Amino acid sequence: MSEIETRFLAPPAATGIRLDLTGAVTRRAGAIVPLLAVIVAWEAASRSGIVTPFLLPPISAVLGRVWEDAISGELALNLGQTLFRSLAGFAIAGAGGVALGILMARRRWVRWFFDPIVSVGFPMPKIAFLPIFMLWLGLYDVSKISMAVFNAIFPVITATIAAAEGVDRPLLWSARSLGASERQLLREIILPAALPQILTGLQVALPISMIVMIVTEMMMGGQGLGGAMIAASRFADSPGVFAGIVEIAVAGLCLVKGIALLRGRLLAWHQETQEPTTV
Amino acid sequence: MPDAAHIVIDRVSHEYRPARRRPVLALDDVSLAVGEREFLALLGPSGCGKSTLLYLVGGFLPVEQGAIRVEGRAVDGPGPDRGIVFQHFALFPWKTVMQNVLYGLEKKGLPREERLRVAREFIELVGLAGFEDSYPAQLSGGMKQRAAIARTLAIDPSILLMDEPFGALDAQTRSLMQAELLRIWQRSRKTVIFVTHDVQEAVFLAERIAVMSARPGHIKEIVEARFDRANPELLRSRQFVEMVDHVWNLVRGEAILAERSGAA
Ligand SMILES: Nc1ncnc2c1ncn2[C@@H]1O[C@H](COP(=O)(O)OP(=O)(O)OP(=O)(O)O)[C@@H](O)[C@H]1O
Ligand SMILES: [Mg+2]
Repeated sequence: MSEIETRFLAPPAATGIRLDLTGAVTRRAGAIVPLLAVIVAWEAASRSGIVTPFLLPPISAVLGRVWEDAISGELALNLGQTLFRSLAGFAIAGAGGVALGILMARRRWVRWFFDPIVSVGFPMPKIAFLPIFMLWLGLYDVSKISMAVFNAIFPVITATIAAAEGVDRPLLWSARSLGASERQLLREIILPAALPQILTGLQVALPISMIVMIVTEMMMGGQGLGGAMIAASRFADSPGVFAGIVEIAVAGLCLVKGIALLRGRLLAWHQETQEPTTV
Repeated sequence: MPDAAHIVIDRVSHEYRPARRRPVLALDDVSLAVGEREFLALLGPSGCGKSTLLYLVGGFLPVEQGAIRVEGRAVDGPGPDRGIVFQHFALFPWKTVMQNVLYGLEKKGLPREERLRVAREFIELVGLAGFEDSYPAQLSGGMKQRAAIARTLAIDPSILLMDEPFGALDAQTRSLMQAELLRIWQRSRKTVIFVTHDVQEAVFLAERIAVMSARPGHIKEIVEARFDRANPELLRSRQFVEMVDHVWNLVRGEAILAERSGAA
């Protein structure tokens, strides 16, 4: 091979590999750099003396506090309570919202009955119902979980209706002509065909469920991350409050990543999970 | 008229009424009878209502004007007696090729072993052996089309409604599939309505060719095309070439009309 040929042939292959590597590294680092920047700024601000450590304790102190909570078992208890209630609320809202959404899309009388209720309920500030929930359901898990369901179910319903209505008609027709009954259509065709959009609705509902749970815990007190933060703030325990923020942030991030992973699993057949393209 | 009429389309008109838009008259007074075990091709310019007519016979759209009878009974919804291959395949994207073909067989209640055997047989028939576990998103257009054909043939319907089933295939695969379809039809003697744009394909496959007018579609002329299809020289025979020419002239006039009205 002549020198010129080598020169012309070699570079593309080499850059190709290098590009791939930098691509992967930047993608990983890309997510961490901004977070690190915030953390560094936080630490710097609290050490510089611009704010007192009471208003903004250094992150090192906050992380120390998270560590103490973890050792004492406090963290596991509160985190466990919050996660259990958030996920229970999310699961109920998910199952109920998907079922109701599909029925609303496919059964006229269900649509007729629930459409106005959903239209009124969705934009309403549902946290205002908390006193009623407390009156009716008490101060413990039932009312807290109900509150999460009440908030998280609306995005699931609306996403499911849109998804179920958007299913390609020939898809339904094929199933019918292959012998499926009208009822079988719901579960065997409409549900899987609508799954990508339904999952998007669920991905919105999960953080809502967690946010509402923490707010509810803050207002009702008791165990859980929200309750612990309110307790810490009553005792003017500033690192305790910030430790709660960090714990919530990490837990929320894990939940969101988890459901994104689940999406990739469930949609292995979908074009979004196939090879990446340039556009 | 061959044998007894299997499908009777009696003065059917169909109007699409999209919300907040002008209604579209897709079919205007279409009458057509298809004999038991007949192979009928439906030929006409784009937008003349060929798919609409198949959807009506399939029972997917309500028959609002006129009547459609299959084996003497008015069509009332879809059923596995009328298998359809859709123009855009309509494969279940979350199912593999194998699962797609199995779906109708499960609904038929065949035992498991039998289902797998039949599904494999038809996947092989359309040349998709080795792709049983691929999802539709991983197949080419022609492969999707063949998967859809396998899925429909597998449930062994007595009527086959095919909407440009070979449209996405290359010339070689297309002629292989045409020969295969003829073989299946001759062996099982199904009643076939076969929509196509390809005049030669229509003349080669069908016993009768219904030429439709530009939109609103009605049957402009029905041409008999009975040849000895076992004859390997058929495609070059004078009769065949003249028939293609004749049908082509009928269709061309309508295509020009369709183009003008489309541009207007
Ligand atoms: N859902 C719909 N709403 C409104 N108009 C429609 C609808 N479907 C079809 N049409 C119109 O009805 C006419 C017939 O459509 P159809 O799909 O039956 O044509 P076609 O003969 O199958 O055309 P092609 O050969 O291009 O597939 C077209 O003019 C089209 O614009
Ligand atoms: Mg069509």
